[in-house]
Amino acid sequence: MSEKKRILVADDSETIRALLQTALESAGYEVDVAKDGLSAYELGSAGGYDLIILDQLMPGLLGLDVITRWHEEGMDVPVLMLTGVDDDRTAVESFDRGAVDFVRKPFRITELMARIKMQT
Amino acid sequence: MPSDSLLQVAVLVIFTVNALLLMALVILKVIHRRRMHDHDARRKSYLGLLSRCLSFPNNTEPITEAIAEDPAFLDALIDMRNAISGDEVSTLHRIVNRHGVIERQRRHLDSSWLLGRRLRAAVALAELGDELSADTLMAHLDDREPEIRIQCARGLGRIRWTPAIDEIVSRFKEEIPWVRVRFSDTLLGFGTKATWPLLAYVKINHRFDHRGPALALRTIAQVQDDQAVGPLLELLDERLHLEVELATIETLGELGSPEALPPLEQRLRASRWEIRAKAASSLGGLGDPSAIPHLVEAMRDESWWVRRSAAGAIARLPDGVAALYQSLDDEDPYAADAAAEALIDVGELVSARRRADQGGSRHEPLLAHMRGKGNS
Repeated sequence: MSEKKRILVADDSETIRALLQTALESAGYEVDVAKDGLSAYELGSAGGYDLIILDQLMPGLLGLDVITRWHEEGMDVPVLMLTGVDDDRTAVESFDRGAVDFVRKPFRITELMARIKMQT
Repeated sequence: MPSDSLLQVAVLVIFTVNALLLMALVILKVIHRRRMHDHDARRKSYLGLLSRCLSFPNNTEPITEAIAEDPAFLDALIDMRNAISGDEVSTLHRIVNRHGVIERQRRHLDSSWLLGRRLRAAVALAELGDELSADTLMAHLDDREPEIRIQCARGLGRIRWTPAIDEIVSRFKEEIPWVRVRFSDTLLGFGTKATWPLLAYVKINHRFDHRGPALALRTIAQVQDDQAVGPLLELLDERLHLEVELATIETLGELGSPEALPPLEQRLRASRWEIRAKAASSLGGLGDPSAIPHLVEAMRDESWWVRRSAAGAIARLPDGVAALYQSLDDEDPYAADAAAEALIDVGELVSARRRADQGGSRHEPLLAHMRGKGNS
């Protein structure tokens, strides 16, 4: 039997966490959640995730800062940025710092699930 | 003494009443906190329920009438509506409609005598943005409560209910100023669809009112629709109230159309300094360096404000900084000062000081001008 893929959802919005956790668990993923940048960094650093879904504007640490730290520490994990920040600069910076995908909020669940499936 | 014991009794009564009031306050606070906590817990569980409904359209979990009537469910619906887009919004609207959520909020807005409940209903309808609520929202654009009028306009903007554009614009004249500004924000949501109704409103009303048309013009500037340029130029040919003329000139500058160049240059010679100043700063927005000679002339204007606006506009134009350096040698010392101030505003003095030691830099004339003013 194949092992469940693990995903970390880091977002300060309870709605997004609930929505993604439900959708991902029902799609057969094992999901952990973090509600601020620091716990996202700590959980992500502990490793073992097949994908990390990261919000940009979170208390503690910004999403981009979290990826930068992982990048500097040589951690190699696919990160999907999910953010309400609607500017191209954030998107470009996310890719520069190693994100594999970038999705703007509000989003379509079906589209997001398809993108997640592609990365895992 | 009887009066002493009377005083003691009075003090005791006051102390007891105060203690009881304080205790009641504490109890109320505890109850309120517990209710908020329960509300939050229910909202969380409803978020999970809605997530399942959206993730599995065939989900058969019941949403009972008690749930549908729960304010925590309404909050969860609003949160979810703001998180998702596309097909999922339609799915959410189906859930909302199946359980009479919109109908219930419409009823509260129409007939509740509690302001808090009516306001909550207006916010909910605006946030959920369902077309079923359009009629109610339109009707309450004339509500007695300003905040409800604002929420209704916002909701109509969210639904992009185009019949509402004329209704909102037509209220510019009578509305109180802060509501009018919020109405203008709402119209931005309609984008270019709002341009013609706004132009028509200005055209019809500018003779009788200036505040409404001026705000309508500034809204057009934010919509950034090039189609407005022609009608705005025609409007400039009419006899306008100062506020309306200033707003028209400003809007033409914001739209940045080259067609506006001749009439704006002409207004650099207007009799009122306000118009000359506004025309100067708007010319800076057009991005055409052919305006520079006219603006250099405007830097010799008798009004400080016109000189500053002209210099600031030159700085925004291609080759403008070089033109300002040339103007430092202008025989009119006020024009040279205006040029120097504009150069400082765009950071030239900082660069000049940084490079002062290197010598022969293009900044030298600015440093020399500042030394002449005793500011170096």
